[in-house]
Amino acid sequence: MARPAVETRALIKTFGVVPVLRDINLQISEGRCALLTGGNGSGKSTLLRIIAGLSQPTSGDAIVFGASSRNLGVVRRRIGMLTHQSWLYPNLTARENLTFYAELYGMPHGDGLAEKWIAAVGLAAANDRVREFSRGMEQRLSIARAMMMAPDLLLLDEPFAALDPDAVAMVADLIRSAIARGCTALLTAHSQLDLGIEIDRYQIVNGRVVPFRDESRAPQRSRIGA
Amino acid sequence: MGAFAAVLRKDLRLEIRSGQSTIALFALSLLIMVVLVFALNPQPIDRARDAAAALWVALVFGGMLGATRSMIAENENGCMRALTLSPIDPAALYGAKLAAAFAFMAIVEIAAVGLITLFFNLDFGADLARLAPSLMFGTLGFAALATLLAAISSRTRAGDLLLPILAIPLFIPAIIAGVKASEAALSGFPLAAASQWLGILAAFDVLFITLGALLFEHVIRED
Repeated sequence: MARPAVETRALIKTFGVVPVLRDINLQISEGRCALLTGGNGSGKSTLLRIIAGLSQPTSGDAIVFGASSRNLGVVRRRIGMLTHQSWLYPNLTARENLTFYAELYGMPHGDGLAEKWIAAVGLAAANDRVREFSRGMEQRLSIARAMMMAPDLLLLDEPFAALDPDAVAMVADLIRSAIARGCTALLTAHSQLDLGIEIDRYQIVNGRVVPFRDESRAPQRSRIGA
Repeated sequence: MGAFAAVLRKDLRLEIRSGQSTIALFALSLLIMVVLVFALNPQPIDRARDAAAALWVALVFGGMLGATRSMIAENENGCMRALTLSPIDPAALYGAKLAAAFAFMAIVEIAAVGLITLFFNLDFGADLARLAPSLMFGTLGFAALATLLAAISSRTRAGDLLLPILAIPLFIPAIIAGVKASEAALSGFPLAAASQWLGILAAFDVLFITLGALLFEHVIRED
């Protein structure tokens, strides 16, 4: 049995007195792809932020590759993350943004890596400033930013939002490639997705993460690429 | 060192491209000089004192503006979270932001020194050169403090109001030392005459930089 890449232990998160996540015990094995579904405000993004160490749980813990998310240390560089915010500098070009992140992570040949990933996500506007990008173009570049460091754990918060069908297929292909090389992925979405690979499915119900079992009552799945 | 250089290079590139901070700082310095020179109408005997006061008012207000803008750029699109998740050491990140703020402030101060020379009818010469240590120590200390506090204030809704409320009381002892050291330099006294004030400024630099390096990690971390 593969070791857990991500494990949450009795994790609770409250904002003020409002409980958002209640007693979350989730385990995702290395090399697996997991999908977490839930409605708006159900706590999906909060859980991803806690796993990435960007937000602190009220109690309990999240363990990522054996390290507590309260102090991830060197494990941070093994995580690639996509959020609702692009984490891109509007006054830098697409190429400059990716080159900056490559240098930040100490990657050699940052320029070449940026070129490769701009091509991989199908962006033609490498030298345009991000502030001139549409939402979909920004999402493509964010996906490149999250994946270019070949992370061992991908945390993707609604990765298919704002993408056109061609881009959806391309991003699904990138996720499949990442899983194929042994990366672990945790995706969130509002409804079920079919990426053409085996996915561990969970949903958030009243602040608790439960396995998604009742597939007959599942919302219509979107078949993507493959 | 690579990550430090990457953040510093990125900040400088953003500033060179937009020029927002530098232009705003220069305009603010010009405004302060014009207001003070006409309000004070300095007599020859008071010129050094009044010029030193004007210079430090420009330094403090300009520094707050520059540090705030630098942090706003990081919070736009959530980029600070990307930096937090990246392998860069928080102290190195603080150092890069501090170095960028220092560079912006230094450029504007060179222009501000030119303006006080013009508006206060000072002579170009050794007196101006003697200003360098007090300005350098003062700029470094204020950039160190403002960078730390701007990281706190930029995450709040009333950040622009919060920064001066936090920064100015903490920086008052250093302002007094800076004004006194600058006045001594502009009055033509040798550097040794201002050594105790320069010592105070250097001590504040060490204090603020150490505090910033230690606390920055906690300041940028979310609840």
